[in-house]
Amino acid sequence: MDPSYINLALGGLAVLGCIGVFFGLGLGLAAHKFAVEVNPKVEAVQALLAGGQ
Amino acid sequence: MRNGWDMNPHAALAIARIRRLGAIGFFMGLFLLTGCKTEHPFVQSAVFKDSHEITIAFAGPVDDAWAQTIANFSVNEIADPDIFADIAAAALSRDRKSLTLRLTDAMNRQNSHTVMLKEILSDGKSLGTARLTLKQPYFGTLLSILIGAMIIQNFVFSKYLGLCVFFGTSRKKSTAVGMGITFTIVIVFASMLSWFLYQFVLKPFRLDYLQIVVFIGLVSLTVQGVDTIMRKVNPKLFKAFGVYLVLVIANCIIIAVPLTLAQNEYNLYESLMLALGAGLGFLIALFLMSSVRERLEFAKIPEAYRGLPIAFIVAGLFALSFMGFSGMSLF
Repeated sequence: MDPSYINLALGGLAVLGCIGVFFGLGLGLAAHKFAVEVNPKVEAVQALLAGGQ
Repeated sequence: MRNGWDMNPHAALAIARIRRLGAIGFFMGLFLLTGCKTEHPFVQSAVFKDSHEITIAFAGPVDDAWAQTIANFSVNEIADPDIFADIAAAALSRDRKSLTLRLTDAMNRQNSHTVMLKEILSDGKSLGTARLTLKQPYFGTLLSILIGAMIIQNFVFSKYLGLCVFFGTSRKKSTAVGMGITFTIVIVFASMLSWFLYQFVLKPFRLDYLQIVVFIGLVSLTVQGVDTIMRKVNPKLFKAFGVYLVLVIANCIIIAVPLTLAQNEYNLYESLMLALGAGLGFLIALFLMSSVRERLEFAKIPEAYRGLPIAFIVAGLFALSFMGFSGMSLF
């Protein structure tokens, strides 16, 4: 196989990985910064209920 | 005698100043809009007169003999530099400052054209070759993209995209409008983000074959981001959006728009207009549909048709009526 294709594929993996890590960190930080406290009982009850959708 | 027009001199002065500024702004805007800049200092403007004629205005008189020689001019679409249009005639105005080129075949004015004027002669002096670019007025293009995506090529009624969410949320007018507004906001964000990523990451690294994967990721990222931030910043609005915010991910219009942008190589403003048009078009479709479905609740419908079947028939009728817009061109 042409090595340039392999380079292209590896480069693609690297670039997309970087994008993924970047946006993932961004979302994680946003979730941390904009965290909303939810009563744990609400979540517990919701987990027990049958999920409609 | 005092009347309503009398006012103290300071206010009058201020108003006069505002008017003057307004006038200057207006003419600046007009200047930018009409695009007076051409690539050659001697050529003031080059515009489409109608589908067959191009008018070129010069800063000074040009020579008759030069203007009569058709071989001095060439016209072609920018996309096809080797296909030249047939020039039937070239006519110079009486003051020799305005040249009209008449073509044998009609031009497609949606596409930009290149006009070459070889060795412009003015009073026997050669002023060099001018290479001009002819474009439709730019705001017209933007507006036609907006209206095109919104009405003429409505994503729901003429491309049949996003039907799941369309039928799911068009039962009540209030939910329909809520969904439409949420969708418009998210699609504008997601499309802008995908445009940037496509132009500045995917294209330079020759990764455009991965565009679908990247765009899907970006859409979910936008939705998740809006969800997270809105939950904290504006809980009221978040409650109003409810489940629709997450439903936006399941809408295929939101992936169709970035793909269209990438395929047509739109620039930033054109992309913004397409995204806005798609969102508003979806809002219009949802509103129309929900208005009909609210009335259908009270209509006498055969039992087999109640609910979704009649909704599909109504959507088909809407699509038929939207076909009336097809082929319309605005500018």
